[in-house]
Amino acid sequence: MIRMENVTKVYKGEVLALQNASCEVQRGEFVFLVGPSGSGKSTFMRLLNKEEKPDRGRVFVAGRDIGSLPSWKVPFLRRNIGCVFQDFKLLPNKTVVQNVAFALEVIGRPRSVIKTKVPAILELVGLSKKMHNFPDELSGGEQQRVSIARAFVNRPLILLADEPTGNLDPNTSLGIMTLLDRINRTGTTVVMATHDRSIVDKMRRRVVELDRGQIVRDQSRGVYE
Amino acid sequence: MSLKLDYVLRETASNFRRNITLTLATVITVTISLTLLGAALLFGDAVDNATSRWKDGVEFIVFMDPEISPELEADIRRQLVDSPEVSGFSYVDKDEAYAEVQDLLGDSPELVEVITPQRLPASFRVKPSDTLPERVDELAEAFRSQPGVARVVTASETIRAIEDLSSGLRQRVIIVAIILLVAAAVLILNTIRMALFSRRRDIEVMKLVGATNWFIRVPFMFEGLVQGLIGGVISIPLIWLTNNFFSVINDDVSLELLRGFTVDPSRVWALGFQMVGLGAIVGTVGSGVAVTRFLDT
Repeated sequence: MIRMENVTKVYKGEVLALQNASCEVQRGEFVFLVGPSGSGKSTFMRLLNKEEKPDRGRVFVAGRDIGSLPSWKVPFLRRNIGCVFQDFKLLPNKTVVQNVAFALEVIGRPRSVIKTKVPAILELVGLSKKMHNFPDELSGGEQQRVSIARAFVNRPLILLADEPTGNLDPNTSLGIMTLLDRINRTGTTVVMATHDRSIVDKMRRRVVELDRGQIVRDQSRGVYE
Repeated sequence: MSLKLDYVLRETASNFRRNITLTLATVITVTISLTLLGAALLFGDAVDNATSRWKDGVEFIVFMDPEISPELEADIRRQLVDSPEVSGFSYVDKDEAYAEVQDLLGDSPELVEVITPQRLPASFRVKPSDTLPERVDELAEAFRSQPGVARVVTASETIRAIEDLSSGLRQRVIIVAIILLVAAAVLILNTIRMALFSRRRDIEVMKLVGATNWFIRVPFMFEGLVQGLIGGVISIPLIWLTNNFFSVINDDVSLELLRGFTVDPSRVWALGFQMVGLGAIVGTVGSGVAVTRFLDT
């Protein structure tokens, strides 16, 4: 599903974010990216949906070299990749249901599809009762559920989660992990960057560790360190 | 519940206010720029009209008796051809003179109606080789006493000044107009960019979920189009106001020299619609360019 071949990424010619990194992720895998801040986790993710371009090496998504993807096709790549962030990135002036519907509207899905899909996905993340609330009326965990609903409503092949539990307490984090696990079980490949030792140790999934831009460990059913 | 309603109203109000000021700013910018540009072009036209008879170095005009015999006319023509002091001349026959009057008096058809080509004199517009005023006057004087000549009109000092001015003025007006247009485009770009900045979060999410660039761009361009159209429409009455100001100059008898300093109403309307079209283009393109800055993928 995802393959990186000798990828090097340097920001502004001096900050080395990734150095000769190679990695392959199969369809349906759940992968933790761990490592200290600045070790290249976010860059790893940003390369996958072509928010960044590698300086050297190649990145394949779903068997396609995305380096050769013309820029007008990038949106279609992104429709296959859901993204979840530490800060949720919800639109504050839209309600929960509007936030999720927005993701379908802007890729031109018909109204009838939106009307059935959005309530169904909100049911899945357990927010049916708060559909018409605004993001700032929700707890952090609830906001992250909305953001996951938005990322998953279009049934992407890959879900990228950049520190999704970074702003949440341990209990709430566990709830989010259960949700991501359920999504993974539907066959969606999940790549999650995290600092959360307890979650990684508890889940026992594949762990890829980065340090100063280099992959220093790749372990199936691994622990944080 | 009361908190929620309060929150919704506050959010909606603040959102609306934020957008209305920026919309207003854009519209005002477009209106002012288009009005100035339109007025500048109108002024150029008016100057052109006022000095059309004195273009290309014509220093005096020999008007012939409307009833002149062909022989006498040929005689005058021969003198013009033979005279070493005449570098060139053009002949304006009755029909051409009539067309010119129609042009000048286009906005007062009742005047045009009483004039017929037969009642208008044919004329020679003469370019002397030496444009020194004294020499021109001498040359003109020679024709004044000719049989068959009704009147000889020399370009007065003032006309000469205007004429000198008008050729330069036309260029300057065009330069000013171009500068204004560029300024307008930059201002519009900036205003739209400010409006977009307040919505960069929306754009970020749109990009993230895979909206195509055109899908993101088109709503903003439509907004720019509407703003440009509104600005253009408001500029029409303002351009008319400028034209009315020309009429005031024109009606002032003491400014008889500037007779013809007017622009045909159809031309003013055409200019107005051109400004609306220009506003629409600048608004649409401005938005499109401004939003592209946020789409750099």
